[in-house]
Amino acid sequence: MDEKLPPPSPQEQQQLLERDRISRRSFLMNVGLAINGMVGVLLAVPVVAYILGPVMRRREYLTWIDLGDAAKFNPGETKLVSFRNPFTNEWDGETANIPAYVRTEAHGRYTVFAVNCAHLGCPVRWFSESQLFMCPCHGGVYYADGSRASGPPERGLFEYPTKIENGHLFIEAGQMPTLSNSAALRPCSEKSQPTLVKRIAPCPGTDEPTIG
Amino acid sequence: MPWYRRTYDWLERRLQLEGPIKDAVLHPVPKSTASWWYVFGSASAVLLVLQVVTGILLALVYSPSASHAWNILQMLNHQVPLGWFLRAMHGWGSNFMVAIVVIHMAQVFLFGAYKFPRELTWIIGVFLLLLTLGMAFTGQVLRFDQDAYWGLAIGASILGRVPWIGGQLVHLMLGGPIINGATLTRFFALHVFILPGTLLVLTGLHVWMVVKLGINEWPMPGRLVRRETYIQEYNELAHKDGLPFFPGAAWKDAYFAAAILLAVALCAAYFGPYGPTGTPDPTIINTVPKPDPPFLWIYTVLSYLPPEMETPFLLIVPPLAIAVLLGLPFVAGVGEKSWWRRPVAVFSVMFLAVCWASFTHLATYTPWSPKMNAWSGAPIPTAFLERRTPLERQGANVFQEKQCRNCHSIGGSGGLRGPALDDVATRLTEDQLIRQVLLGGGNMPAYGSTLSPPETTALVRFLNTLHPNYQPAASDASRAVAGQGGVPSASTVERGNGQHKTQ
Amino acid sequence: MKGLGLVLLAATALSGCHMPGRPAPGPEVPRPESVMSFAQLYGENCSGCHGADGRNGSAMELGNPVYLAIIDDAALRNIIANGEKGTLMPGFGNAAGGSLTDKQIDALVSGMRARWAKPNVLAGMTAPPWKASQPGDATHGAAVYTQACARCHGNTSQQPGAAGSILDGSFLALVNDQTIRTIVIAGRDDIGQPDWRNVLLGRALTDAEITDLTAWLIAQTPPHPGHPYPSTQPTAERPGEQQPLATHTQ
Repeated sequence: MDEKLPPPSPQEQQQLLERDRISRRSFLMNVGLAINGMVGVLLAVPVVAYILGPVMRRREYLTWIDLGDAAKFNPGETKLVSFRNPFTNEWDGETANIPAYVRTEAHGRYTVFAVNCAHLGCPVRWFSESQLFMCPCHGGVYYADGSRASGPPERGLFEYPTKIENGHLFIEAGQMPTLSNSAALRPCSEKSQPTLVKRIAPCPGTDEPTIG
Repeated sequence: MPWYRRTYDWLERRLQLEGPIKDAVLHPVPKSTASWWYVFGSASAVLLVLQVVTGILLALVYSPSASHAWNILQMLNHQVPLGWFLRAMHGWGSNFMVAIVVIHMAQVFLFGAYKFPRELTWIIGVFLLLLTLGMAFTGQVLRFDQDAYWGLAIGASILGRVPWIGGQLVHLMLGGPIINGATLTRFFALHVFILPGTLLVLTGLHVWMVVKLGINEWPMPGRLVRRETYIQEYNELAHKDGLPFFPGAAWKDAYFAAAILLAVALCAAYFGPYGPTGTPDPTIINTVPKPDPPFLWIYTVLSYLPPEMETPFLLIVPPLAIAVLLGLPFVAGVGEKSWWRRPVAVFSVMFLAVCWASFTHLATYTPWSPKMNAWSGAPIPTAFLERRTPLERQGANVFQEKQCRNCHSIGGSGGLRGPALDDVATRLTEDQLIRQVLLGGGNMPAYGSTLSPPETTALVRFLNTLHPNYQPAASDASRAVAGQGGVPSASTVERGNGQHKTQ
Repeated sequence: MKGLGLVLLAATALSGCHMPGRPAPGPEVPRPESVMSFAQLYGENCSGCHGADGRNGSAMELGNPVYLAIIDDAALRNIIANGEKGTLMPGFGNAAGGSLTDKQIDALVSGMRARWAKPNVLAGMTAPPWKASQPGDATHGAAVYTQACARCHGNTSQQPGAAGSILDGSFLALVNDQTIRTIVIAGRDDIGQPDWRNVLLGRALTDAEITDLTAWLIAQTPPHPGHPYPSTQPTAERPGEQQPLATHTQ
């Protein structure tokens, strides 16, 4: 075992460093460190830009999507439809098939809701019998017009902007709706309440009990 | 000299590892630390190794492709020989690792081991806990089933609540506008490279510091930690009343490590792998997503927070909790270590443990969620339909068809979101029932615009029969008085179970 | 050597196929449309109203062999897929907004027949057809009611019989002529209610009698059923009031 090369002792290391503190070698070392620092910054720019790529392309995400002939939606019905997300790759598989609910009040009056609960994004289910959307995760419930009925959501369902062109229903979609990229809390409008509730509850979204 | 001795010497002359390893393994530790309470740290490390090994084995087959990942997991479960067992080992290893890391942390906290000079060991330990939880979450994502998909949606929705930059954060997390292939690949990179790399480096530092600073001695009430004298006291303890770590204390670690590995294997063999549940197709609306066991308590918290408190809570409490953990050794870095003299510490741990246990228990049956199939899949027990009039039976149909059952249970089945209605007629009069059904309130939606008058009448007639065991139905005294021309009836006990109502 | 043996034993046990954790064949959660098991489909979609085994539910007894004998597959399929208008039976087919595919509905129909149909349940008798062939005569139906139904169901809704009134306005508003016809013919043996052969003493009801009875009963539906104060005008019809959205007529 005595054949091993002993490492330099701490004192020796210190002496060597002291000797070279002010010398050409230490100057070159400092310059070398500075060059590496600059190259590092230079390389960091593309790396950061690469990482932020999904954020910088946000403008491309939203497009008008054709949901098909508007006449196929019957008045008084709420229907689950799905569309292929426009911003997608082949290997996204079925994850790029995005569902939505089309509510038809009369021909020409369409509201398209995202399936994502306004609470934390779980898929709400439509029950035509009770005219309610119910969320399986934390128990959010919405009325047929998307306004909040009960549970933890603090607003109604997310709505996609709609338009009719050549008899086809279009929605502006392409990204997962969350509280920050959809319209902010919808004002408590007259329109958002079922007729009967309107007479009693000032605003179902405010979580105040109606009577008693 | 035998051949193996010569080989060893040849290697050691070049590697020169014998010295440092001997130093680390044989360093003296206080005798009191050779305890079964000190095995959780090493067990966490052993589980980390298990996770790395099983993870690499799974990576031999797995492919982080959104269109294939789910099918590959099916193949692992059904076609690759013992693929399911490896998946189960990795999944159960993850559960055990989270549990053991948390127990280790509680033990370290109760033993005051985070105090001087081991503050940094604790701080790195906090990051190790966060990384372990991060591994558990990203691992759930790689399972890429419905739970993974909607778990990501929940994560994105939480990020979306961040003010100003929430939208950007969501896209950064998802790697694009929606949950898709880009999301899976970046969670794969997190789970396989970034988090485990950091975890291994920090674990190395953590262990290095344990070796360099010595294992925390068994705390004695009244033996206070002082910055000036602690190191000297500890060295005296370790050298005068100590023993070499190996084998003096290490044999218990070895036994426990083997027991934990065996427990993981038994759980894997008995309970099998986690899922995958349904395919990650967002158009399948009929799904009830659920997080993995380590996150069940969060599920409960998110359900019970009042709506207006939710965003502040989500954004403030986690950073605050981490700050408290990180700041702990700076606030309480010296002084008493023994739990006998730290009642606040003991009660904090007990409080958190009780909260965690009850939240997790609640999340196993989610009383806040509507039971989505109860209306069409939970029959009304026959006892509630016996000798009912045709109208009352139609009322039971209304009760089911309008999805009342999704939130209200009868006879023990149905949703738990609203109160059970087995004896609702003893609590509410007919008029109160009508009011509650039509107007809702108390977290119940108003059904006024959904129920027609006959449906309401039928439903309320049915609900009015729900006063079992001859309990009297709630009745409006003024009605009886009005009906008898102002003369109150002798008794309010009018109807019992199965008795027919007088019209 | 003993240790090695134990390890070998454990290894064989591990590689053996009898571990309880081994996943059953097929995906743990199949796509909803690929579920074809009658027990699961019926349990999740029908049992809520029609009872756990097609019996003792609040709605029609599907396990009634007489019922299965008089209704054909096409009618059953149509009711499951599109619901029954004028009653509380909603449509479960994809087209009606439900979750069942045509194949799943077929599985339900054939499953019901396989489980609950009994050969020769009519014992040689010809039951009246499930669907009425001609409109009924309501005036004659009143007599049939008094003769056949009043004994148990009472003469008027104010004087219900032991089995409860079927002249109640709300009840009549929640059923249609087919519901009445079906239940008169098939009865409900699970809750002890007679089929068309046993309503009258000595003889079975005829097709014409059932049709007339149905027409009369439906004609008894009041104009504003379910209104708690029938003598007053509904609020919705007063000037300046808007009718609440009626969603019942699906």
